[in-house]
Amino acid sequence: MTSTPNELVKDPLFQLNAVLWLAQPLPGKSEITPLLYNQGFTVHAIAPLLGPPLDLRLVAQEAGISMQERVRPDLVLTQEKGHKFAFTECKARSFGPTSPTAEQARSLLVVAGPRAAEVLALASGQVADSLLAFVIPEDDRQPLIQTLLSLRDELAEKKLRAGRFSVLGLALTDTDISIVINDIGSAFFALPAGTNPFMKREPDTDPRPLYFIPYDPDVVRPQSEQEKEFCKRVLFERMHSSVVAAVGRANPPAQLALECQKILNDAMFGMYGQWENRDSARHMRRLCRQFMGALTQAVNAVVPDTMAFRPGVGWKISLRDPQQHETLIDALTCFPCEKLDLRTEPQPDLFDDQDNNAGAADRA
Amino acid sequence: MTETPLARIQTRHQMIRFFDGYALERMEELDERKLKRPLVKTHLLELLDGKEARTAEGLQAIFARRDVHLRPLDESLFLVADNHEAEIGFLERLRPRIVALYSTLESEKIKKWVRHLVLRSPEIDHVWLSGTTFNVLWELVVRLSRPHRFTRLTFTHQSIFDIDGSTGGPPEEEEEEEEDASQHSGEEDREEIVERRDTTFRLVDRIGVIHEKLDKLQRIYSPLHAISQLRFPSPVGRGGHDFYDNGRVTNRSESFRDHRSHLLFVVRIYERLLKSTEDQAWYSIQESVGLPGQFRNIVGAPVVVRFQEPLDPAVFKHWIAATFERKRNKFRLWGHPIPLGPTKVHVYGVDRHLWQPLFLELTAKGCTAIIPNGTCGNTVHRLVTNIQRYLDPGAEAFIGNKPYKQMVEESAQGVPYDLDAE
Repeated sequence: MTSTPNELVKDPLFQLNAVLWLAQPLPGKSEITPLLYNQGFTVHAIAPLLGPPLDLRLVAQEAGISMQERVRPDLVLTQEKGHKFAFTECKARSFGPTSPTAEQARSLLVVAGPRAAEVLALASGQVADSLLAFVIPEDDRQPLIQTLLSLRDELAEKKLRAGRFSVLGLALTDTDISIVINDIGSAFFALPAGTNPFMKREPDTDPRPLYFIPYDPDVVRPQSEQEKEFCKRVLFERMHSSVVAAVGRANPPAQLALECQKILNDAMFGMYGQWENRDSARHMRRLCRQFMGALTQAVNAVVPDTMAFRPGVGWKISLRDPQQHETLIDALTCFPCEKLDLRTEPQPDLFDDQDNNAGAADRA
Repeated sequence: MTETPLARIQTRHQMIRFFDGYALERMEELDERKLKRPLVKTHLLELLDGKEARTAEGLQAIFARRDVHLRPLDESLFLVADNHEAEIGFLERLRPRIVALYSTLESEKIKKWVRHLVLRSPEIDHVWLSGTTFNVLWELVVRLSRPHRFTRLTFTHQSIFDIDGSTGGPPEEEEEEEEDASQHSGEEDREEIVERRDTTFRLVDRIGVIHEKLDKLQRIYSPLHAISQLRFPSPVGRGGHDFYDNGRVTNRSESFRDHRSHLLFVVRIYERLLKSTEDQAWYSIQESVGLPGQFRNIVGAPVVVRFQEPLDPAVFKHWIAATFERKRNKFRLWGHPIPLGPTKVHVYGVDRHLWQPLFLELTAKGCTAIIPNGTCGNTVHRLVTNIQRYLDPGAEAFIGNKPYKQMVEESAQGVPYDLDAE
């Protein structure tokens, strides 16, 4: 078991992946009941970059209300039939109205408000109802409700109309994990108010599902060490599978070039390509180099002069003949990700700014 | 009839005449119970969807990499030869992604040849017909044939991960040779005595009789869901066409044209099934409505396989070890399992045959797979086929919330069944 379940429900990546699974089509009687999908909700956007309308930002500025210029909710869920949109943000714990996180919450309250269609670049008739939904451990649900009520009143006082909000608490019992939902959330998502179990638990078994998004440098801070290590392991395993698949498919003799961007996009379902936070994208490339460096060393020890890093190009892999190809695949597939150093953060290196395979941030 | 060197056959028409004559002669020998030479065997192969395989030149290049030479007879038909066996047979592109290899080589020889070819070629895979697919095809056989006609079904379930208390030790390496030698034991194959839990039996009876009983029998005894071979009776004469779960089809009819039309019928269904599997199951991040490039959305559906009864923890452990600790394993998967409990692992791995990534949650209760965009639908069909054969013959599969059986049924709807098709 990799993590205590109590820690797990505090982990924003678990929360994000759990909400993604809640919005997936699944057969009845599955280990996960897709409560949101069953009510017609699907994923509209993952981590979209949104900005409150300019006039509202000016009003906030004049009123001395601190608000983020741009905000990136973890998910936007939609129910197409009812033209409903839920701006969803996962949090490890509650925060107070004076904390730095309150700036983000104010922006989210405005974004999810009556001007949501404009924010999403949709026609006004395309958004009939919108809501800000926070996902948080159940123990922190009430404190966060108080904070959000306070922020909403603060905005209303300055004539800034905020959206409705609901706090979805993640609660854990010996047999399942549930979403605890209040009346507003209940009406919006068409789920019963109170406790809604959605994930079954087995004794001595980590309940986490397969992760769609295995790693996010922007959320690693609130994660426990165990969670960070688990997520890094999953990221490395996925990079590993990308390299193994590319080499396995190749026909020798051939030269393969694997770029950082391709490896990371394969591992992240293409999410890396849209990372706009420069530091996050750089952090991801360092992780990629850490993994590929270790893999290159291990492979070259078995099949000398096969893999090499070329700045600005990526990793060149030489496939000389079928026999060497077979030996290379054996060496690649034997490489154990779990034995990599999952604790130490990758340090800045010479190639931080030379890598031309940058994410969205560096292309912007 | 004397044997004709295949190289003397220059046209499609000559090939059909040759196979028709061959088929008729074999039928006469069968009637006299003195079959001397093998029947015409077809192996249906799926080409990994790629630009190269779409042209005749590309197809030739793919096979040339495996020392197999395709000499074109027309735009979609080739004579097949290799350096060792010389003439192998003819290869025809039936559909954009599916080719048929017709051969009169002896059964064991051609099976070995095809197995070797597929093992070495990530661009080529067998067509995988799962027990669920066969159950839908069986319903079609019932609708298409008169009830008094005879058919033949084979049911195969080998609980290879079920550890026999008397032999208990670590599992033996599962070699390809052994795998194929123990399965598909048609009439031309020698039976092999294997001491392990194994359900393989053949049912030959009138279609009407089987139709009346099979559903009830399947409810009583789940291995009867694991159909691994099914005969389509020939509508133009005696005999029929035996389809096996790995895409092998034996022509036991009098007509090669009839054989080919049955291949086309099943292949069209399979092609539709492949497409609908990929359309629904592929996970990717796609641009959503709104500002292009700004909003990204996750689309796709997980593949879920649910066992009828949870596996015993020892069987589960054995399955995981036998699959991921061996280079050659029944499921052709690679990955390093992340243990999450006594009967739960996550594997961010690769389909070792097609070399495409897939992410798996394996538990005692079933399997959930995330198939990234671009991964061939064949991966799903092979997974379902192998689960039914080796783990749970009555396992139910879903793509998202849609039953796999329903997808097969929908794929079969409206597919033409006529002798003169194409």
